[in-house]
Amino acid sequence: MQISVTVNGQVCQRDVEDHWTLLRLLRDGLGLTGSKEGCGAGECGACTVELNGRTVNSCLVLAVEADGGSVRTVEGEAEQGRLSRIQEAFARHHAVQCGFCTGGMVMSVRDLLQRNPQPTVREIQEGIEGNFCRCTGYAQIIEAVLDVSGQLDDSSVGDLRHV
Amino acid sequence: MTAMFRYRAPRRRDELLELLAEYGERARVLAGGTDLLGDVRSGLARPAAVVDVKLVPGFGELAWSAAEGLVIRPGVTIDDVLRDERARSSYPLLAACAQDLASHQIRNRATVVGNVVNASPCADMAPALLCLGARAVISSQDSRREVPFTEFFTGAKRTVLRAGELLEEIVVPAQSAGARGSYRKLKRIKGHDLGIVGVAAMAKDGELRLGISSCAPTPLLVDGLTTRDPVDEVVAVARAAISPISDVRCTKEYRTHMVGVYVRRAMEEVA
Ligand code: FES
Ligand code: FES
Repeated sequence: MQISVTVNGQVCQRDVEDHWTLLRLLRDGLGLTGSKEGCGAGECGACTVELNGRTVNSCLVLAVEADGGSVRTVEGEAEQGRLSRIQEAFARHHAVQCGFCTGGMVMSVRDLLQRNPQPTVREIQEGIEGNFCRCTGYAQIIEAVLDVSGQLDDSSVGDLRHV
Repeated sequence: MTAMFRYRAPRRRDELLELLAEYGERARVLAGGTDLLGDVRSGLARPAAVVDVKLVPGFGELAWSAAEGLVIRPGVTIDDVLRDERARSSYPLLAACAQDLASHQIRNRATVVGNVVNASPCADMAPALLCLGARAVISSQDSRREVPFTEFFTGAKRTVLRAGELLEEIVVPAQSAGARGSYRKLKRIKGHDLGIVGVAAMAKDGELRLGISSCAPTPLLVDGLTTRDPVDEVVAVARAAISPISDVRCTKEYRTHMVGVYVRRAMEEVA
């Protein structure tokens, strides 16, 4: 089926199979490999993207369901080669190790901060409840979110006891 | 996903029911897809046609009327319920169950109708709908029937729905509006895991009802209780109603024990 989807602001037209997931369209069809397939079953969140303004697991959405819609992926974060503030905070706080979860994690954090610009630690944990990270133990990710939301002062950077 | 199927997205209700009649057992309804697409991937479901209900006008609407109550149509997501001020304030138990369902990504996509049609013993919306006295309006090309949720589930992952039928509306009666509610779900971690034990409690005008998930082949309703009943008696009634199994998550003894703990807490919360 021929579909038309706006991805990171660009209109893309592609011919997709009915059974393709949105994740497959992004990765194989459009070469946007920042969204990963961890489980393919809605559990890990590595495939998280924004579809029509809401975060979804793109492994559980058919590509054809996105027809006429608008998708934002982690590739839409950086502008003119500059990382977004969330990405910079992730880098600063070593919130990325293997990086497999990062694309999805950044999308969930972005969504959280849009709803709640100054989340508490509890709210950050709740905001990333659908994203697994097998490397960091989450502490660095939470610290990055506290930082990007202006809730971390210089003295406590690197001090994970607050987490 | 290796399975092949035809994707159909009718834009009219009659066209949708016609497709369901035509494909019968070989069709699966697609709403949020969070259960279905996982089942297709794992080979548990091998539909010839996947029929998307979301493009039928009105199917995404959550309607409220003083006479009918809340009407939940097939495209209404868990998140839609949480965002709806009327649904949240009138049916706090519905919101409590919705809030506890999986993760943001899933709640943004999964539907209330899909959650009950999938009929998992741990379906989060079922305890609320059972307690609130909700009913299912089921349509096919040439019939329309109503089934109370107390009769909707017939076994693990089984319901009264027949091939060609669609659960078109869930009606949550206006009489249940304003009831106090609480939902307690035990799970190893938030977000990714299935519930181990779920207990919903609803209290209105002295009447007490419990909805229990993950403790029998189907979600259960325990009614005929009052908020003045001694807690130990209520716990005994709840324990007698369940038939838990031991599985990878825990033993049946643990489930039985935790039902008692959660019934006590839930009763306190709605008292
Ligand atoms: S790959 Fe989609 S949730 Fe894991
Ligand atoms: S950085 Fe490796 S999974 Fe999160």
